[in-house]
Amino acid sequence: MSNKNNAQEVEETVDFDKFDKSPSGFKIFWKELLKDKLALFSLIFLVLITAFVFGISWILDQDEIVTVDLFAIYEPPSSEFWLGTDYGGRDIFGQLIIGTRNSLLIGILVTVMSGFIGIVFGVVAGYFGGHIDNVMMRIVDFFMVLPNLMIIIVFVAIVPKYSVWSFSLVMTAFLWMGIARLIRSRALQEKELDYVQASRTLGSSHTKIIFTQVLPNITSLIVVTMTLNLAANIGLESGLSFLGFGFPEDTPSLGTLLGYATNPQTLEFRWWIWVPAAVLILILMLAVRNVGEALKRAADARQRRA
Amino acid sequence: MALLKVDDLKIHFPIRGGILNRKIDDVRAVDGVSFEVKQGETYGLVGESGSGKTTTGKAIMGLNNITSGDIYFEGTHLNAKKGKKVDVRRDVQMIFQDPYSSLNPRKRVLDIIAEPFRNYEKMTKKEEMFKVQELLEKVGLSSDSVYKYPHEFSGGQRQRIGVARAIALKPKLIIADEPVSALDVSVQAQVLNFLQDIQKDLNLTILFIAHDLGVIKHMCNRIGIMYRGRFVEEGLRDDIFNDPQHIYTKRLVAAIPDVDPRRREEHQSFRAQVKEEYEQSFNDYFDENGLAHSLKPVTDTHKVALPERG
Repeated sequence: MSNKNNAQEVEETVDFDKFDKSPSGFKIFWKELLKDKLALFSLIFLVLITAFVFGISWILDQDEIVTVDLFAIYEPPSSEFWLGTDYGGRDIFGQLIIGTRNSLLIGILVTVMSGFIGIVFGVVAGYFGGHIDNVMMRIVDFFMVLPNLMIIIVFVAIVPKYSVWSFSLVMTAFLWMGIARLIRSRALQEKELDYVQASRTLGSSHTKIIFTQVLPNITSLIVVTMTLNLAANIGLESGLSFLGFGFPEDTPSLGTLLGYATNPQTLEFRWWIWVPAAVLILILMLAVRNVGEALKRAADARQRRA
Repeated sequence: MALLKVDDLKIHFPIRGGILNRKIDDVRAVDGVSFEVKQGETYGLVGESGSGKTTTGKAIMGLNNITSGDIYFEGTHLNAKKGKKVDVRRDVQMIFQDPYSSLNPRKRVLDIIAEPFRNYEKMTKKEEMFKVQELLEKVGLSSDSVYKYPHEFSGGQRQRIGVARAIALKPKLIIADEPVSALDVSVQAQVLNFLQDIQKDLNLTILFIAHDLGVIKHMCNRIGIMYRGRFVEEGLRDDIFNDPQHIYTKRLVAAIPDVDPRRREEHQSFRAQVKEEYEQSFNDYFDENGLAHSLKPVTDTHKVALPERG
């Protein structure tokens, strides 16, 4: 009798469509963001700058910006050139916009692609263990011993059209192993816990257990690594550009702009060329980190503030 | 016919070592165990740590690879062909030892208890919710805890959630793997009594794995005592507790603490006496490798691992 009453009560008070599953990760993250103003501000900043950069670069003509204008070399900021010009008379502001777009795109693409491959590879290897794990990890080892810098240099030399996409793919090929190893080690640990065996006894399939039971429990690790990777991957392109294996000067990026600061004259007297790019990289990384921290807390019910 | 029949079950884990990581030896976790569990009874599997009780339980669930031997459930051969496992999970369920790791911390109670429904039965969300609430009430938790996460519950409450999940599909056999050893004593009694109530309600058969003889005495009709992967004695509760035949069982029973402080001295000397007997007659009761002999019937219900005489 009491059971029935209770169930009826619940039926009346609970909106079933609203609670069909555990509250989605997005909802929890949103609540967490509302609690953490710094992260909220960072996210808004990131969204704005991404939208702004992608929007403006849609209108801007890259060819026009990277055209050399010998009459406007090293112009300081003015109403015509908002952030001055570089040694080729090219508008820094325009380069900054397109450069930020390119750098962000590479960072996001490389992080998402390497993350996806690494996570699936790692969690499968860790979950099944034994021979499967052994074979899969030897493949990872093989990729790790490849001299990646040399291969990237060769790639730069032989590929005729060097675009954001091809660059991201090559970087991905050498960046997924770290994530795979990390995720595997956690999956190995996780699969020993009783809830995995409990799920087996309750009739769930391996695929279901991997993706709905084990994976959610390592999201905090995934998010933290991916965030750190995103920050690192935005910087990665700068490093390669600095070494001379990044994009050519007609494809501006934050890295090529920073690279001008290798000239001591520029470093000391023509701050408008490199300071905006440096500040932007700094702010971008801080913002990414703040959002990542909020995500990390949202992923772990015990750390939540909301 | 017995509900569950385990026949000469052996589970060995390889020890690898040396060059090329070859198999050099086995850990004989379970080494020739046979027993039967009848419909409606509670069968207790007792033994010290590492004696193979849990491994036996998990093998019946199909969570361990079986080296040799057969397991029959209602006459169905569970490990008939390699790779082709018979799915009896609807009828055999398990309660896990550790209430902290056996519930997925990222899932709400609703999702945890509804997991078997989602795998085996097509239910609407309303039916599912109704069923889960019914189960929660049955295990003595309030039905509004469906949206809570496991970390919001105490150990005893978590174990009840584990029980609710195990009885969700109305199984015939429940393997309770030390269901109370992670709980403190006051909560142990709660969970045990409520397990007994549920057993009566649903006419469950329980294979109860434990190392606590007090708990076993409270719960079980028949008891099997394991030592190093083998049975040393099997019999009804009275056979084991009032008339232990094997020296290992005698020592186990003697180790049960006595609550009466006035008999402390007496009990202590009795224990010392049993210990002495154990040390002196160890070789009579165990073979040259320190393993138990095979079981010989003493009475109709009572089997003891005694050496062949003469």
